[in-house]
Amino acid sequence: MSKAFVIAETENGARELCAGARKLADEVVLVSVGAPVSGAADKSFHIDVPAGNIADDAYVTVNKIYDAEGGDVVLGEQTLRALSLVGRLAAKLGAAAITGVSAVEGGVATSMYFGGTGVREAKAAGDVAVYTFGPGVFDASEATGTDAVEEAAFEAPENAVAKTGSEALPPSDVNLAGADAIVACGRGFGAEEDLQLARDLAAKLGAELACSRPLAEGVDWFPREAYVGVSGAVVSPKVYVAVGISGQMQHMVGCNGADVIVAVNKDKNAPVFKACDYGFVGDLKTVLPALTAAL
Amino acid sequence: MNILVACKIVPDDQDVKVAGDGSLDFSRAHKVVSTYDLNAIEAAAQIAAANDGSTVKAISVGPKKADDSKTKKNILARGVDELFLAADDALDGLDAFATAAELAKLAAKAGDWDVIVTGDGSADLYAKQTGVQLAAKLGVPFVSGVVSAEAADGKLVAKRLLESEEETVEVPLPAVVSVAPEFAEPRIAGMKDILAAGKKPMNVEGAEGAPAKAVEEVSVKAPAEVDRKKEMFDDVDAFAAAVKAAL
Ligand SMILES: Cc1cc2nc3c(=O)[nH]c(=O)nc-3n(C[C@H](O)[C@H](O)[C@H](O)COP(=O)(O)OP(=O)(O)OC[C@H]3O[C@@H](n4cnc5c(N)ncnc54)[C@H](O)[C@@H]3O)c2cc1C
Ligand SMILES: Nc1ncnc2c1ncn2[C@@H]1O[C@H](COP(=O)(O)O)[C@@H](O)[C@H]1O
Repeated sequence: MSKAFVIAETENGARELCAGARKLADEVVLVSVGAPVSGAADKSFHIDVPAGNIADDAYVTVNKIYDAEGGDVVLGEQTLRALSLVGRLAAKLGAAAITGVSAVEGGVATSMYFGGTGVREAKAAGDVAVYTFGPGVFDASEATGTDAVEEAAFEAPENAVAKTGSEALPPSDVNLAGADAIVACGRGFGAEEDLQLARDLAAKLGAELACSRPLAEGVDWFPREAYVGVSGAVVSPKVYVAVGISGQMQHMVGCNGADVIVAVNKDKNAPVFKACDYGFVGDLKTVLPALTAAL
Repeated sequence: MNILVACKIVPDDQDVKVAGDGSLDFSRAHKVVSTYDLNAIEAAAQIAAANDGSTVKAISVGPKKADDSKTKKNILARGVDELFLAADDALDGLDAFATAAELAKLAAKAGDWDVIVTGDGSADLYAKQTGVQLAAKLGVPFVSGVVSAEAADGKLVAKRLLESEEETVEVPLPAVVSVAPEFAEPRIAGMKDILAAGKKPMNVEGAEGAPAKAVEEVSVKAPAEVDRKKEMFDDVDAFAAAVKAAL
Protein backbone atom coordinates (compact mmCIF):
# COMPACT_ATOMS: atom_id res chain seq x y z
CA MET A 1 0.00 0.00 0.00
CA SER A 2 1.47 3.31 -0.98
CA LYS A 3 0.79 6.40 1.07
CA ALA A 4 0.66 10.10 0.28
CA PHE A 5 1.35 12.76 2.88
CA VAL A 6 -0.30 16.10 2.11
CA ILE A 7 0.75 19.41 3.69
CA ALA A 8 -1.69 22.26 3.14
CA GLU A 9 -2.55 25.69 4.44
CA THR A 10 -5.78 26.65 2.69
CA GLU A 11 -8.91 24.52 2.51
CA ASN A 12 -9.06 24.63 -1.29
CA GLY A 13 -5.38 23.73 -1.48
CA ALA A 14 -5.97 20.78 0.86
CA ARG A 15 -8.83 19.48 -1.28
CA GLU A 16 -6.97 19.89 -4.56
CA LEU A 17 -3.86 18.18 -3.25
CA CYS A 18 -5.81 15.36 -1.63
CA ALA A 19 -7.60 14.77 -4.95
CA GLY A 20 -4.19 14.64 -6.65
CA ALA A 21 -2.74 12.44 -3.93
CA ARG A 22 -5.41 9.81 -4.65
CA LYS A 23 -3.95 9.42 -8.13
CA LEU A 24 -0.44 8.87 -6.76
CA ALA A 25 -1.09 6.63 -3.77
CA ASP A 26 -3.58 4.21 -2.22
CA GLU A 27 -3.90 6.05 1.07
CA VAL A 28 -3.99 9.79 1.77
CA VAL A 29 -2.96 11.50 5.00
CA LEU A 30 -3.58 15.23 5.31
CA VAL A 31 -2.00 17.72 7.68
CA SER A 32 -3.51 21.17 7.62
CA VAL A 33 -2.20 24.25 9.42
CA GLY A 34 -5.12 26.45 8.38
CA ALA A 35 -8.74 25.48 8.88
CA PRO A 36 -9.60 21.85 9.77
CA VAL A 37 -10.51 20.03 6.54
CA SER A 38 -12.90 17.11 6.53
CA GLY A 39 -13.98 14.76 3.76
CA ALA A 40 -10.73 15.01 1.80
CA ALA A 41 -8.35 12.35 3.12
CA ASP A 42 -8.35 8.94 4.80
CA LYS A 43 -6.74 10.46 7.84
CA SER A 44 -6.92 14.17 8.50
CA PHE A 45 -4.86 16.11 11.05
CA HIS A 46 -5.26 19.71 12.03
CA ILE A 47 -2.67 21.79 13.83
CA ASP A 48 -4.10 24.81 15.62
CA VAL A 49 -1.30 27.36 15.51
CA PRO A 50 -1.33 29.63 18.61
CA ALA A 51 -1.84 33.33 17.92
CA GLY A 52 1.71 34.17 18.97
CA ASN A 53 3.36 31.64 16.67
CA ILE A 54 3.85 31.34 12.93
CA ALA A 55 2.43 28.40 11.00
CA ASP A 56 5.89 27.83 9.48
CA ASP A 57 7.05 26.73 12.93
CA ALA A 58 4.46 23.94 13.00
CA TYR A 59 7.19 21.85 11.39
CA VAL A 60 8.03 20.12 14.65
CA THR A 61 4.51 18.73 14.81
CA VAL A 62 4.26 18.06 11.07
CA ASN A 63 7.51 16.09 11.12
CA LYS A 64 6.29 14.09 14.12
CA ILE A 65 3.08 13.23 12.32
CA TYR A 66 5.14 12.15 9.33
CA ASP A 67 7.28 9.96 11.59
CA ALA A 68 4.15 8.25 12.88
CA GLU A 69 2.28 7.98 9.59
CA GLY A 70 5.01 7.81 6.96
CA GLY A 71 4.45 8.40 3.27
CA ASP A 72 6.08 7.49 -0.03
CA VAL A 73 5.14 10.75 -1.62
CA VAL A 74 4.70 14.21 -0.08
CA LEU A 75 2.44 16.78 -1.73
CA GLY A 76 2.72 20.36 -0.53
CA GLU A 77 0.67 23.44 -1.28
CA GLN A 78 2.58 26.33 -2.77
CA THR A 79 1.85 29.02 -0.20
CA LEU A 80 4.81 30.57 1.59
CA ARG A 81 3.92 28.95 4.92
CA ALA A 82 3.33 25.50 3.45
CA LEU A 83 6.58 25.83 1.49
CA SER A 84 8.38 26.34 4.80
CA LEU A 85 6.83 23.17 6.20
CA VAL A 86 7.62 21.20 3.05
CA GLY A 87 11.25 22.37 3.15
CA ARG A 88 11.69 21.39 6.79
CA LEU A 89 10.29 17.91 6.14
CA ALA A 90 12.36 17.49 2.95
CA ALA A 91 15.51 18.50 4.83
CA LYS A 92 14.80 15.87 7.48
CA LEU A 93 14.27 13.23 4.78
CA GLY A 94 17.41 14.20 2.86
CA ALA A 95 15.11 15.10 -0.01
CA ALA A 96 14.44 18.22 -2.04
CA ALA A 97 11.02 19.31 -3.21
CA ILE A 98 10.30 19.51 -6.92
CA THR A 99 8.16 22.62 -7.03
CA GLY A 100 5.63 24.12 -9.41
CA VAL A 101 4.73 20.66 -10.65
CA SER A 102 2.13 20.51 -13.42
CA ALA A 103 2.05 16.71 -13.87
CA VAL A 104 3.50 13.54 -12.35
CA GLU A 105 3.76 10.46 -14.53
CA GLY A 106 5.51 7.31 -13.38
CA GLY A 107 7.54 9.18 -10.77
CA VAL A 108 8.65 11.84 -13.24
CA ALA A 109 7.48 15.36 -12.46
CA THR A 110 7.09 18.12 -15.03
CA SER A 111 7.70 21.75 -14.10
CA MET A 112 8.93 24.97 -15.65
CA TYR A 113 12.57 25.89 -15.93
CA PHE A 114 13.64 29.55 -16.02
CA GLY A 115 10.01 30.56 -15.71
CA GLY A 116 8.88 28.88 -18.90
CA THR A 117 12.03 29.21 -21.02
CA GLY A 118 12.23 25.47 -20.61
CA VAL A 119 10.17 22.52 -19.46
CA ARG A 120 11.94 20.28 -17.00
CA GLU A 121 11.35 16.67 -16.10
CA ALA A 122 12.85 15.48 -12.86
CA LYS A 123 12.47 12.69 -10.35
CA ALA A 124 13.33 12.09 -6.74
CA ALA A 125 16.60 10.24 -6.25
CA GLY A 126 15.69 9.00 -2.77
CA ASP A 127 12.87 6.87 -1.36
CA VAL A 128 10.44 9.69 -0.77
CA ALA A 129 9.33 12.03 -3.54
CA VAL A 130 8.39 15.56 -2.48
CA TYR A 131 6.35 17.78 -4.80
CA THR A 132 4.59 21.09 -4.49
CA PHE A 133 1.74 22.30 -6.67
CA GLY A 134 0.24 25.67 -7.40
CA PRO A 135 -3.53 26.08 -7.51
CA GLY A 136 -5.57 24.47 -10.26
CA VAL A 137 -3.49 21.39 -11.05
CA PHE A 138 -6.04 19.06 -9.46
CA ASP A 139 -9.81 19.24 -9.09
CA ALA A 140 -10.81 20.00 -5.48
CA SER A 141 -14.31 18.58 -6.01
CA GLU A 142 -12.83 15.10 -6.55
CA ALA A 143 -11.47 14.88 -2.99
CA THR A 144 -13.07 12.23 -0.80
CA GLY A 145 -12.38 10.93 2.67
CA THR A 146 -13.23 10.80 6.33
CA ASP A 147 -15.13 13.48 8.18
CA ALA A 148 -13.12 12.91 11.34
CA VAL A 149 -10.35 15.44 11.92
CA GLU A 150 -7.75 14.75 14.58
CA GLU A 151 -6.28 17.70 16.43
CA ALA A 152 -2.49 17.58 16.73
CA ALA A 153 -0.95 19.86 19.35
CA PHE A 154 1.37 22.61 18.09
CA GLU A 155 4.84 22.11 19.47
CA ALA A 156 7.08 25.16 19.31
CA PRO A 157 10.64 24.68 18.09
CA GLU A 158 13.56 26.01 20.08
CA ASN A 159 14.10 29.64 19.00
CA ALA A 160 10.51 29.94 17.83
CA VAL A 161 9.61 32.98 15.77
CA ALA A 162 7.12 35.22 17.59
CA LYS A 163 4.14 36.56 15.70
CA THR A 164 3.26 39.98 17.01
CA GLY A 165 0.71 41.15 14.50
CA SER A 166 -1.18 40.40 11.37
CA GLU A 167 -3.18 42.49 8.98
CA ALA A 168 -5.41 41.21 6.21
CA LEU A 169 -4.47 42.59 2.80
CA PRO A 170 -7.11 44.81 1.26
CA PRO A 171 -9.34 42.82 -1.10
CA SER A 172 -8.49 43.60 -4.70
CA ASP A 173 -11.01 44.45 -7.39
CA VAL A 174 -8.87 42.85 -10.10
CA ASN A 175 -10.84 40.25 -12.02
CA LEU A 176 -8.73 38.75 -14.77
CA ALA A 177 -10.12 35.23 -14.62
CA GLY A 178 -13.34 35.89 -16.48
CA ALA A 179 -12.19 38.77 -18.70
CA ASP A 180 -12.78 38.62 -22.47
CA ALA A 181 -10.20 41.32 -23.11
CA ILE A 182 -7.14 42.38 -21.12
CA VAL A 183 -4.84 45.36 -21.61
CA ALA A 184 -1.54 44.64 -19.90
CA CYS A 185 0.99 47.37 -19.08
CA GLY A 186 4.74 46.90 -18.81
CA ARG A 187 7.82 48.86 -17.93
CA GLY A 188 7.45 50.74 -21.19
CA PHE A 189 5.18 53.03 -19.17
CA GLY A 190 7.67 55.56 -17.89
CA ALA A 191 5.29 57.47 -15.64
CA GLU A 192 2.27 56.48 -13.62
CA GLU A 193 0.07 59.13 -15.27
CA ASP A 194 0.66 57.47 -18.66
CA LEU A 195 -1.40 54.54 -17.41
CA GLN A 196 -4.44 56.67 -18.26
CA LEU A 197 -3.72 55.87 -21.93
CA ALA A 198 -4.11 52.17 -21.11
CA ARG A 199 -7.27 52.83 -19.08
CA ASP A 200 -8.81 54.70 -22.02
CA LEU A 201 -8.02 51.81 -24.35
CA ALA A 202 -9.38 49.30 -21.85
CA ALA A 203 -12.61 51.29 -21.51
CA LYS A 204 -13.08 51.21 -25.27
CA LEU A 205 -12.43 47.46 -25.44
CA GLY A 206 -14.38 46.59 -22.30
CA ALA A 207 -11.10 45.17 -21.04
CA GLU A 208 -9.61 44.58 -17.61
CA LEU A 209 -6.26 46.15 -16.82
CA ALA A 210 -3.28 43.96 -15.98
CA CYS A 211 0.51 44.39 -15.83
CA SER A 212 3.93 42.76 -15.85
CA ARG A 213 5.53 41.86 -12.54
CA PRO A 214 7.79 44.92 -12.20
CA LEU A 215 4.76 47.24 -12.19
CA ALA A 216 3.25 45.41 -9.24
CA GLU A 217 6.26 45.12 -7.03
CA GLY A 218 9.15 47.37 -8.05
CA VAL A 219 6.79 50.28 -8.23
CA ASP A 220 3.35 49.60 -6.81
CA TRP A 221 1.21 50.99 -9.59
CA PHE A 222 -0.83 47.81 -9.57
CA PRO A 223 -1.95 45.34 -6.87
CA ARG A 224 -0.14 41.98 -6.89
CA GLU A 225 -3.25 40.24 -8.24
CA ALA A 226 -2.90 42.23 -11.47
CA TYR A 227 0.39 40.83 -12.70
CA VAL A 228 0.36 38.10 -15.28
CA GLY A 229 2.98 35.39 -15.58
CA VAL A 230 4.60 32.31 -14.19
CA SER A 231 4.49 33.62 -10.63
CA GLY A 232 1.32 35.64 -11.14
CA ALA A 233 -2.03 35.24 -12.84
CA VAL A 234 -2.53 32.85 -15.75
CA VAL A 235 -5.20 34.23 -18.05
CA SER A 236 -7.02 33.16 -21.19
CA PRO A 237 -9.03 36.05 -22.64
CA LYS A 238 -10.09 36.38 -26.27
CA VAL A 239 -7.75 39.33 -26.72
CA TYR A 240 -4.61 40.20 -24.73
CA VAL A 241 -3.02 43.54 -25.54
CA ALA A 242 0.55 43.76 -24.24
CA VAL A 243 1.74 47.35 -24.15
CA GLY A 244 5.35 48.24 -23.32
CA ILE A 245 6.04 44.64 -22.35
CA SER A 246 9.21 43.06 -23.72
CA GLY A 247 7.71 39.58 -23.88
CA GLN A 248 10.00 37.55 -21.67
CA MET A 249 8.92 33.98 -21.08
CA GLN A 250 8.17 34.56 -17.38
CA HIS A 251 5.43 36.92 -18.53
CA MET A 252 4.26 35.19 -21.70
CA VAL A 253 3.50 31.84 -20.03
CA GLY A 254 0.78 33.71 -18.19
CA CYS A 255 -1.01 34.88 -21.35
CA ASN A 256 -0.25 32.12 -23.86
CA GLY A 257 -3.79 30.87 -23.37
CA ALA A 258 -5.21 33.99 -25.04
CA ASP A 259 -6.92 33.47 -28.42
CA VAL A 260 -5.24 36.56 -29.83
CA ILE A 261 -2.20 38.42 -28.52
CA VAL A 262 -1.67 42.02 -29.58
CA ALA A 263 1.59 43.85 -28.90
CA VAL A 264 2.64 47.48 -28.90
CA ASN A 265 6.33 48.14 -28.33
CA LYS A 266 8.75 50.76 -29.53
CA ASP A 267 11.50 48.19 -30.12
CA LYS A 268 10.91 46.20 -33.30
CA ASN A 269 13.20 43.46 -31.97
CA ALA A 270 11.27 42.97 -28.72
CA PRO A 271 10.64 39.24 -28.20
CA VAL A 272 6.93 39.94 -27.74
CA PHE A 273 6.63 40.38 -31.52
CA LYS A 274 7.63 36.75 -32.00
CA ALA A 275 4.85 35.65 -29.68
CA CYS A 276 1.95 37.82 -30.86
CA ASP A 277 -0.70 37.76 -33.57
CA TYR A 278 -0.86 41.48 -34.28
CA GLY A 279 2.05 43.82 -33.60
CA PHE A 280 2.61 47.54 -33.89
CA VAL A 281 6.02 49.15 -33.51
CA GLY A 282 5.81 52.57 -31.94
CA ASP A 283 5.82 54.72 -28.84
CA LEU A 284 2.85 53.80 -26.68
CA LYS A 285 2.25 57.49 -26.03
CA THR A 286 1.29 58.04 -29.64
CA VAL A 287 0.05 54.56 -30.59
CA LEU A 288 -2.42 54.09 -27.72
CA PRO A 289 -4.41 57.33 -28.25
CA ALA A 290 -4.52 56.65 -31.99
CA LEU A 291 -5.64 53.06 -31.46
CA THR A 292 -8.28 54.09 -28.92
CA ALA A 293 -9.61 56.72 -31.30
CA ALA A 294 -9.69 54.31 -34.23
CA LEU A 295 -11.66 51.63 -32.38
CA MET B 1 25.44 42.93 12.54
CA ASN B 2 27.18 40.28 10.45
CA ILE B 3 25.08 39.48 7.45
CA LEU B 4 25.52 36.77 4.85
CA VAL B 5 23.62 36.95 1.61
CA ALA B 6 23.16 33.88 -0.58
CA CYS B 7 23.11 34.62 -4.28
CA LYS B 8 23.03 32.24 -7.19
CA ILE B 9 24.97 32.76 -10.40
CA VAL B 10 22.92 31.52 -13.36
CA PRO B 11 23.05 31.63 -17.15
CA ASP B 12 21.18 34.57 -18.63
CA ASP B 13 18.01 33.07 -20.07
CA GLN B 14 18.04 35.75 -22.78
CA ASP B 15 21.06 33.96 -24.30
CA VAL B 16 19.57 30.47 -24.32
CA LYS B 17 19.36 28.73 -27.69
CA VAL B 18 17.11 25.85 -28.63
CA ALA B 19 19.14 22.97 -30.05
CA GLY B 20 17.97 20.87 -32.98
CA ASP B 21 16.62 18.13 -30.71
CA GLY B 22 14.51 20.59 -28.74
CA SER B 23 16.86 20.66 -25.76
CA LEU B 24 18.08 23.99 -24.36
CA ASP B 25 21.64 25.07 -25.01
CA PHE B 26 23.04 27.21 -22.20
CA SER B 27 26.67 26.82 -23.27
CA ARG B 28 27.03 30.29 -24.71
CA ALA B 29 24.92 32.12 -22.16
CA HIS B 30 26.53 34.86 -20.07
CA LYS B 31 26.59 34.36 -16.34
CA VAL B 32 24.46 36.73 -14.30
CA VAL B 33 23.29 37.06 -10.72
CA SER B 34 19.84 35.48 -10.39
CA THR B 35 17.31 38.34 -10.78
CA TYR B 36 15.76 38.43 -7.32
CA ASP B 37 19.05 37.78 -5.57
CA LEU B 38 20.01 41.31 -6.60
CA ASN B 39 17.10 42.45 -4.41
CA ALA B 40 18.40 40.21 -1.61
CA ILE B 41 21.86 41.78 -1.87
CA GLU B 42 20.29 45.23 -1.69
CA ALA B 43 18.21 44.20 1.33
CA ALA B 44 21.35 42.93 3.08
CA ALA B 45 23.19 46.15 2.26
CA GLN B 46 20.32 48.24 3.61
CA ILE B 47 20.08 46.28 6.86
CA ALA B 48 23.84 46.70 7.22
CA ALA B 49 23.64 50.45 6.55
CA ALA B 50 21.02 50.80 9.27
CA ASN B 51 23.23 49.08 11.84
CA ASP B 52 26.65 50.62 12.49
CA GLY B 53 29.62 48.29 12.26
CA SER B 54 27.81 45.72 10.13
CA THR B 55 29.43 43.54 7.48
CA VAL B 56 27.89 41.91 4.41
CA LYS B 57 29.43 38.79 2.89
CA ALA B 58 28.04 36.99 -0.13
CA ILE B 59 27.98 33.19 -0.40
CA SER B 60 27.39 31.37 -3.65
CA VAL B 61 27.58 27.84 -5.05
CA GLY B 62 27.77 27.03 -8.73
CA PRO B 63 29.59 25.46 -11.67
CA LYS B 64 33.14 26.38 -12.68
CA LYS B 65 31.75 29.05 -15.01
CA ALA B 66 30.25 30.87 -12.03
CA ASP B 67 33.81 31.98 -11.30
CA ASP B 68 33.34 34.88 -13.67
CA SER B 69 35.22 38.10 -13.02
CA LYS B 70 32.45 40.44 -14.17
CA THR B 71 29.80 38.67 -12.12
CA LYS B 72 31.94 38.55 -8.99
CA LYS B 73 32.58 42.28 -9.28
CA ASN B 74 28.89 42.88 -9.89
CA ILE B 75 28.13 41.21 -6.54
CA LEU B 76 30.85 43.09 -4.67
CA ALA B 77 29.86 46.45 -6.21
CA ARG B 78 26.53 46.40 -4.36
CA GLY B 79 27.51 47.03 -0.78
CA VAL B 80 29.02 43.56 -0.25
CA ASP B 81 32.39 43.42 1.57
CA GLU B 82 33.59 39.94 0.74
CA LEU B 83 32.65 36.99 -1.46
CA PHE B 84 32.79 33.24 -0.71
CA LEU B 85 32.21 31.25 -3.88
CA ALA B 86 32.38 27.50 -4.37
CA ALA B 87 32.70 27.04 -8.14
CA ASP B 88 33.07 23.54 -9.48
CA ASP B 89 31.28 21.55 -12.13
CA ALA B 90 30.50 18.99 -9.43
CA LEU B 91 28.31 21.74 -7.93
CA ASP B 92 26.30 22.45 -11.08
CA GLY B 93 22.53 22.06 -11.03
CA LEU B 94 22.24 21.11 -7.37
CA ASP B 95 18.85 20.69 -5.72
CA ALA B 96 17.88 22.64 -2.62
CA PHE B 97 19.06 19.95 -0.18
CA ALA B 98 22.53 19.72 -1.70
CA THR B 99 22.80 23.49 -2.21
CA ALA B 100 21.94 24.11 1.42
CA ALA B 101 24.66 21.71 2.53
CA GLU B 102 27.25 23.54 0.40
CA LEU B 103 26.03 26.97 1.52
CA ALA B 104 26.31 25.85 5.15
CA LYS B 105 29.99 25.02 4.55
CA LEU B 106 30.60 28.45 3.06
CA ALA B 107 28.78 30.09 5.96
CA ALA B 108 31.13 28.32 8.36
CA LYS B 109 34.11 29.69 6.41
CA ALA B 110 32.71 33.21 6.35
CA GLY B 111 33.01 33.50 10.14
CA ASP B 112 30.43 34.60 12.71
CA TRP B 113 27.08 35.63 11.29
CA ASP B 114 23.77 36.81 12.69
CA VAL B 115 21.51 36.46 9.70
CA ILE B 116 21.60 34.83 6.28
CA VAL B 117 19.51 36.61 3.68
CA THR B 118 18.25 34.70 0.63
CA GLY B 119 16.29 35.86 -2.38
CA ASP B 120 12.67 35.19 -3.26
CA GLY B 121 13.59 32.26 -5.49
CA SER B 122 16.23 31.36 -8.05
CA ALA B 123 15.72 32.30 -11.71
CA ASP B 124 16.09 28.72 -12.94
CA LEU B 125 14.26 26.60 -10.36
CA TYR B 126 12.25 29.26 -8.51
CA ALA B 127 11.70 26.61 -5.86
CA LYS B 128 11.72 28.87 -2.77
CA GLN B 129 13.26 25.95 -0.90
CA THR B 130 16.97 26.66 -0.44
CA GLY B 131 16.48 29.14 2.39
CA VAL B 132 14.34 26.86 4.54
CA GLN B 133 16.59 23.87 3.79
CA LEU B 134 19.58 25.94 4.91
CA ALA B 135 17.75 26.96 8.09
CA ALA B 136 16.96 23.31 8.79
CA LYS B 137 20.58 22.31 8.17
CA LEU B 138 21.80 25.02 10.55
CA GLY B 139 19.03 24.48 13.11
CA VAL B 140 17.88 28.11 13.07
CA PRO B 141 14.55 29.89 12.49
CA PHE B 142 13.32 30.74 9.01
CA VAL B 143 10.84 33.24 7.65
CA SER B 144 10.02 34.02 4.03
CA GLY B 145 8.33 36.83 2.14
CA VAL B 146 10.12 39.48 4.21
CA VAL B 147 9.47 43.02 2.96
CA SER B 148 11.11 44.98 5.79
CA ALA B 149 13.37 44.20 8.73
CA GLU B 150 14.88 46.05 11.64
CA ALA B 151 17.47 44.74 14.05
CA ALA B 152 16.53 44.92 17.72
CA ASP B 153 18.61 43.30 20.44
CA GLY B 154 19.24 39.75 19.37
CA LYS B 155 16.36 39.63 16.98
CA LEU B 156 15.01 40.91 13.73
CA VAL B 157 11.61 42.59 13.67
CA ALA B 158 10.25 41.83 10.24
CA LYS B 159 7.15 42.19 8.12
CA ARG B 160 6.18 39.28 5.88
CA LEU B 161 3.96 39.66 2.87
CA LEU B 162 1.97 36.44 2.60
CA GLU B 163 -0.76 35.47 0.14
CA SER B 164 -3.59 37.20 1.96
CA GLU B 165 -2.09 38.94 4.96
CA GLU B 166 0.88 40.86 6.22
CA GLU B 167 2.41 39.30 9.30
CA THR B 168 4.70 41.05 11.78
CA VAL B 169 7.24 38.75 13.41
CA GLU B 170 10.19 38.79 15.78
CA VAL B 171 12.86 36.42 14.58
CA PRO B 172 15.46 35.38 17.15
CA LEU B 173 18.98 35.45 15.70
CA PRO B 174 20.82 33.70 14.22
CA ALA B 175 18.28 33.01 11.48
CA VAL B 176 17.74 32.64 7.75
CA VAL B 177 15.33 35.06 6.12
CA SER B 178 14.12 35.04 2.56
CA VAL B 179 13.23 38.47 1.25
CA ALA B 180 10.55 39.37 -1.27
CA PRO B 181 11.61 41.57 -4.21
CA GLU B 182 9.53 44.38 -2.67
CA PHE B 183 12.05 44.70 0.17
CA ALA B 184 14.40 46.78 -1.97
CA GLU B 185 15.05 47.62 -5.59
CA PRO B 186 18.60 46.70 -6.60
CA ARG B 187 20.94 49.67 -6.90
CA ILE B 188 22.66 50.57 -10.15
CA ALA B 189 26.34 50.00 -9.45
CA GLY B 190 28.51 52.86 -10.70
CA MET B 191 31.95 52.70 -12.31
CA LYS B 192 33.58 53.62 -8.99
CA ASP B 193 31.78 50.80 -7.16
CA ILE B 194 32.83 48.28 -9.80
CA LEU B 195 36.47 49.40 -9.64
CA ALA B 196 36.43 49.19 -5.85
CA ALA B 197 34.80 45.75 -6.09
CA GLY B 198 37.83 44.40 -7.93
CA LYS B 199 39.94 45.07 -4.83
CA LYS B 200 37.63 43.34 -2.35
CA PRO B 201 38.42 39.85 -1.07
CA MET B 202 37.11 37.02 -3.26
CA ASN B 203 37.46 33.53 -1.84
CA VAL B 204 36.92 31.02 -4.62
CA GLU B 205 37.30 27.30 -4.08
CA GLY B 206 36.46 24.02 -5.74
CA ALA B 207 34.29 21.22 -4.40
CA GLU B 208 35.48 18.68 -1.86
CA GLY B 209 33.56 16.05 -3.79
CA ALA B 210 30.37 15.68 -5.75
CA PRO B 211 27.41 16.00 -3.38
CA ALA B 212 24.73 13.30 -3.62
CA LYS B 213 21.70 14.38 -5.60
CA ALA B 214 18.26 14.36 -3.98
CA VAL B 215 16.64 15.18 -7.31
CA GLU B 216 17.67 13.79 -10.67
CA GLU B 217 17.04 15.80 -13.78
CA VAL B 218 15.56 13.69 -16.56
CA SER B 219 15.32 16.28 -19.33
CA VAL B 220 15.06 19.99 -20.07
CA LYS B 221 13.36 20.94 -23.30
CA ALA B 222 12.08 24.04 -25.01
CA PRO B 223 8.34 24.48 -24.45
CA ALA B 224 5.93 23.65 -27.23
CA GLU B 225 5.54 26.75 -29.37
CA VAL B 226 2.17 28.41 -29.53
CA ASP B 227 1.30 29.22 -33.13
CA ARG B 228 0.82 32.96 -33.61
CA LYS B 229 0.17 35.01 -36.72
CA LYS B 230 3.01 37.50 -36.12
CA GLU B 231 1.35 40.06 -38.39
CA MET B 232 2.92 43.52 -38.20
CA PHE B 233 0.96 46.70 -38.87
CA ASP B 234 2.04 50.22 -39.64
CA ASP B 235 -1.41 51.65 -40.20
CA VAL B 236 -3.36 52.31 -37.02
CA ASP B 237 -6.77 51.91 -38.67
CA ALA B 238 -5.91 48.48 -40.02
CA PHE B 239 -4.41 47.58 -36.63
CA ALA B 240 -7.59 48.74 -34.86
CA ALA B 241 -9.75 46.75 -37.27
CA ALA B 242 -7.75 43.57 -36.58
CA VAL B 243 -8.05 44.07 -32.82
CA LYS B 244 -11.78 44.70 -33.13
CA ALA B 245 -12.31 41.59 -35.21
CA ALA B 246 -10.64 39.50 -32.54
CA LEU B 247 -13.07 40.53 -29.81
C1 LIG C 1 11.73 33.73 -11.07
C2 LIG C 1 11.12 34.83 -11.87
C3 LIG C 1 9.75 34.92 -11.98
C4 LIG C 1 9.17 35.94 -12.73
N1 LIG C 1 7.81 35.99 -12.84
C5 LIG C 1 7.25 36.94 -13.61
C6 LIG C 1 5.83 36.99 -13.82
O1 LIG C 1 5.07 36.16 -13.31
N2 LIG C 1 5.32 37.98 -14.59
C7 LIG C 1 6.11 38.92 -15.20
O2 LIG C 1 5.57 39.80 -15.89
N3 LIG C 1 7.43 38.91 -15.02
C8 LIG C 1 8.02 37.94 -14.24
N4 LIG C 1 9.38 37.95 -14.07
C9 LIG C 1 10.16 39.06 -14.62
C10 LIG C 1 10.44 38.87 -16.09
O3 LIG C 1 11.59 38.08 -16.23
C11 LIG C 1 10.70 40.22 -16.76
O4 LIG C 1 11.74 40.88 -16.10
C12 LIG C 1 9.48 41.12 -16.78
O5 LIG C 1 8.35 40.43 -17.28
C13 LIG C 1 9.75 42.32 -17.64
O6 LIG C 1 8.69 43.22 -17.57
P1 LIG C 1 8.43 44.25 -18.73
O7 LIG C 1 8.29 43.55 -20.02
O8 LIG C 1 7.31 45.13 -18.30
O9 LIG C 1 9.74 45.18 -18.69
P2 LIG C 1 11.01 45.23 -19.68
O10 LIG C 1 11.54 43.89 -19.94
O11 LIG C 1 11.88 46.28 -19.11
O12 LIG C 1 10.38 45.73 -21.04
C14 LIG C 1 9.89 47.02 -21.27
C15 LIG C 1 9.52 47.09 -22.75
O13 LIG C 1 8.89 48.34 -23.00
C16 LIG C 1 9.34 48.84 -24.25
N5 LIG C 1 9.17 50.29 -24.21
C17 LIG C 1 9.89 51.20 -23.51
N6 LIG C 1 9.39 52.42 -23.69
C18 LIG C 1 8.33 52.30 -24.54
C19 LIG C 1 7.41 53.22 -25.10
N7 LIG C 1 7.47 54.54 -24.83
N8 LIG C 1 6.46 52.74 -25.94
C20 LIG C 1 6.39 51.41 -26.23
N9 LIG C 1 7.23 50.50 -25.72
C21 LIG C 1 8.19 50.94 -24.87
C22 LIG C 1 10.77 48.39 -24.34
O14 LIG C 1 11.19 48.32 -25.71
C23 LIG C 1 10.73 47.01 -23.68
O15 LIG C 1 10.52 45.99 -24.62
C24 LIG C 1 9.98 36.93 -13.35
C25 LIG C 1 11.37 36.82 -13.23
C26 LIG C 1 11.94 35.80 -12.51
C27 LIG C 1 13.43 35.73 -12.41
N1 LIG D 1 23.58 27.89 -5.78
C1 LIG D 1 23.22 28.86 -4.94
N2 LIG D 1 24.15 29.69 -4.42
C2 LIG D 1 23.79 30.68 -3.58
N3 LIG D 1 22.54 30.90 -3.18
C3 LIG D 1 21.57 30.12 -3.66
C4 LIG D 1 21.85 29.06 -4.56
N4 LIG D 1 20.68 28.44 -4.87
C5 LIG D 1 19.71 29.10 -4.20
N5 LIG D 1 20.23 30.11 -3.46
C6 LIG D 1 19.51 31.07 -2.59
O1 LIG D 1 18.27 30.52 -2.23
C7 LIG D 1 17.19 31.30 -2.76
C8 LIG D 1 16.06 30.39 -3.17
O2 LIG D 1 16.47 29.55 -4.23
P1 LIG D 1 15.52 28.37 -4.77
O3 LIG D 1 15.20 27.53 -3.62
O4 LIG D 1 16.35 27.68 -5.82
O5 LIG D 1 14.33 29.06 -5.36
C9 LIG D 1 17.81 32.11 -3.89
O6 LIG D 1 17.09 33.29 -4.11
C10 LIG D 1 19.21 32.36 -3.35
O7 LIG D 1 19.22 33.41 -2.41
